[in-house]
Amino acid sequence: MSEAVKVVDDVAFEDLLANPYPVFKRVRDLGPVVKVEAANIMMVTRFDDIMAIERDPETFSSVNPQSLLNTVIGPNLMRKDGDDHARERAAIDPSLRPGVVKRCWADPMRVICDDVIAQIEHKGEAELFEDLAAPIAARALADILGFDGVDWRTMALWSQSLIDGSGNYSHNPEIARKAKKAASGVESAVDRMLPHHRDIPNPSMLSSMLQADPPQTVEQIYANIKVAIGGGLNETRDSILTLILGLLQNPDQLARIRAEPLLWGQAFEEAVRWISPIGMYPRRLTRDVEISGMLVRKGEQVGLCVGAANHDDRRFSDPEKFDVFREKKSHLAFGAGSHFCAGTWVSRALVSQIVVPTVFERLRNLRLKDPDRVRIRGWVFRGPTHMPVIWDV
Amino acid sequence: MPTIRFLLADGAELAVEAESGRTLMETALENSVPGIIAECNGSAACATCHVVLPEDIMSALGPISEHENDMLDFAEAPREPGSRLSCQIRVSDALDNVSVRIPAA
Repeated sequence: MSEAVKVVDDVAFEDLLANPYPVFKRVRDLGPVVKVEAANIMMVTRFDDIMAIERDPETFSSVNPQSLLNTVIGPNLMRKDGDDHARERAAIDPSLRPGVVKRCWADPMRVICDDVIAQIEHKGEAELFEDLAAPIAARALADILGFDGVDWRTMALWSQSLIDGSGNYSHNPEIARKAKKAASGVESAVDRMLPHHRDIPNPSMLSSMLQADPPQTVEQIYANIKVAIGGGLNETRDSILTLILGLLQNPDQLARIRAEPLLWGQAFEEAVRWISPIGMYPRRLTRDVEISGMLVRKGEQVGLCVGAANHDDRRFSDPEKFDVFREKKSHLAFGAGSHFCAGTWVSRALVSQIVVPTVFERLRNLRLKDPDRVRIRGWVFRGPTHMPVIWDV
Repeated sequence: MPTIRFLLADGAELAVEAESGRTLMETALENSVPGIIAECNGSAACATCHVVLPEDIMSALGPISEHENDMLDFAEAPREPGSRLSCQIRVSDALDNVSVRIPAA
């Protein structure tokens, strides 16, 4: 006889948004599967459970035609499994492989980074969310998609609107309207860009989708470009800020990394473990199954809280601490299984090889303007939202 | 059933019976072979199931896809002539008694 799923009903939604980690810890210690009323979801929070779940996609399916994500952006690869998913994934991978990132995207990303820093360098102070991380992440993404000439604020608005729309469980009409507007904006941009990418094959994602065998349909292109915008901008932006924040709060670690630049990669992995840009994603059960002895019924949805798994003290010691030099272990910030983040290699290169090293090189003696004014927010998506800094000019 | 000889990063050898048709990565996970992480569970997306095979059996395993070839350059341990992603290799009699080395990261 399996134990009943425990329920946490004394946590407010605002508690999760402000700081989900104490809630995650409580839920993790309470049981392998715990219903959290405020989020209206059964959370799976332990590292080993999530890893096991992601190795069994037939039981824990990504398919969910009724999901808000499908409603807002159309049937897309994140809500497909098996061959349907693999074909759509293979159509975008040629733009995102690590070698392609190095050969095709590293130079344009450096140009973007230098340009954005040049605009603030002389000022001696900036708000890094708006003045640095958001424009760099948005412009880099526009290049990789093949969205030439789309300005970064439009990219950022589309990304935020699509994300908000996909999480609009209260059916707020204003959020729904903005998401719809963003979706049609993206579709018009795709329509405008496709002839160019059809005529001149290139490494961009739009071009890869057209070159795929079989070529992707316009509906597939619309939907998966929207996934890439919702999944490729905010997360990159957030990880830039998180890595800078971790290092500004730990100058001894920063000094060691600057003395040994090969450590930048390791520093990035620790940053996304510490504050994971994506904290939770859902899977739907295709049969009754026990998760570490806890029975969950067919048709139920579980939220895989990778943010919680990345702070699982069964795996990571002092998980709340930012420690680039902790014992090396894999984390779940990019997810696991066949939906493992397609943009992983882009973000590794952009954040840890280009943007953050350049920031510390060009902005001398960079420091937080007021540590109390740094804001970090969110639980499904989490990152610094306000980070004023100063440096010597 | 072919026997696979996993040569671990610390020099120890772990010989396991493998089922033909499964991938080398699955065989390694089922036998808790240290050093095979396989975050993406066989999608050739993460490069965390890197192994090194004797060069003389490479041709028996068929060609490396463009995608795997790209990934191998970015695995944590440096690429070697016999490097492959173990998730892209199906166990067959050609691998019987072959040493599959897990390179030190």
